[in-house]
Amino acid sequence: MRAETLKGHLDFLLLATLADEPAHGYRIIEALKRRSAGAFDLPEGTVYPALHRLEQSGLLASSWVSASGRRRRVYRLTARGRRGLSGARREWRGFTKAVEAVVA
Amino acid sequence: MIERYLRELEAELGAVGIRGSLRRRILAETADHLRETGDVARFGESKLIAARFADELATNGARRVAYTSFLALAPAGIAYAILLGLIRTWPDITSVKVLPLAIATALTVVLAPQVAFATGLLTVARAWRLRSETAVPAAEIGVLRRRAAVALGSGAAAFTGIAVYAYEYSSGLPSWWTTTAFAVSGAVLVPIAGAAVALARNARVRPQASGSAGDLFDDVAPLLDLVPFRLRGRPWRFCLLVAVAVAAAALIAGGPDEGPRNAVFEFVAVCAGFAGLGRFLGLRR
Repeated sequence: MRAETLKGHLDFLLLATLADEPAHGYRIIEALKRRSAGAFDLPEGTVYPALHRLEQSGLLASSWVSASGRRRRVYRLTARGRRGLSGARREWRGFTKAVEAVVA
Repeated sequence: MIERYLRELEAELGAVGIRGSLRRRILAETADHLRETGDVARFGESKLIAARFADELATNGARRVAYTSFLALAPAGIAYAILLGLIRTWPDITSVKVLPLAIATALTVVLAPQVAFATGLLTVARAWRLRSETAVPAAEIGVLRRRAAVALGSGAAAFTGIAVYAYEYSSGLPSWWTTTAFAVSGAVLVPIAGAAVALARNARVRPQASGSAGDLFDDVAPLLDLVPFRLRGRPWRFCLLVAVAVAAAALIAGGPDEGPRNAVFEFVAVCAGFAGLGRFLGLRR
């Protein structure tokens, strides 16, 4: 899938990826790839500006975590991020239902 | 290979104004990622990544600064209205200490709040219009920053003016009013200064996305439908409409003695402001 197609949905996808557990950038990208069966294969570096922006907006929080001798920036959803994700999910389900009704 | 990429990214981030702890953090995250994958090519060209950081952080930050500026100025506007409303009898100009300073202060106290109010609203209107955008053209962010800067500067000038006014006209004003004016001016300048610091921080980041900034009509598009004649693309017609509305308000508020003079003054001030600041604030192209 082209990165351009994903552009409007990247924030939603990142929030959804972090819904289950906190993760660092590389793991988030891998999860996106795995859960989409390879469809969401983005230029990896472009995910980090989005993560920083979501943190700036208060939807994510992050902290350095040391594991296996490496320091990693781990991102997690904030309460505001969870509310944002719930709203985005509702909106997305309504949208896909409507589109499905038209194109089916 | 990884070290070379990190050096390039460091330079590119510096070129777009991302420095200090934020740059160190981005480089640390990138280093961690690249050591995991070992694939520099998949990460993306360093120039592109730096530009992406600048565009996204500048857009989001400028929007937040716009709202912060408005939140800092809104209580200041209420405080201004209450403070001036408490003056029962306006002091005579002969009671001042330094006449030129007193005249300049009085003009500032009258004009600066109006500029702050108008640009504050325009700042929020632009931020609201861009609310769902992740990255907008650098020109759009420039307009947003300039509007916020003018709004905050005018707000600060208004309250500095009030403090000077209280000092200059102190012999013709009740002492409780001058004390209150000093206290309120100090109190409202703190959040304004805080918003100005946030704006200055955001202005260090230089977004790279190209495109036009739009104009006033893009910001107030929903309102244009309420007007029974064509305004879009005619900025001076819009300016005259606003100037007439402001002059009418001044005429009514000033009464038969001062109303006509105030109306002319306000009409000229609105047109002069539009002529002087119109392009700078993205009101006309």
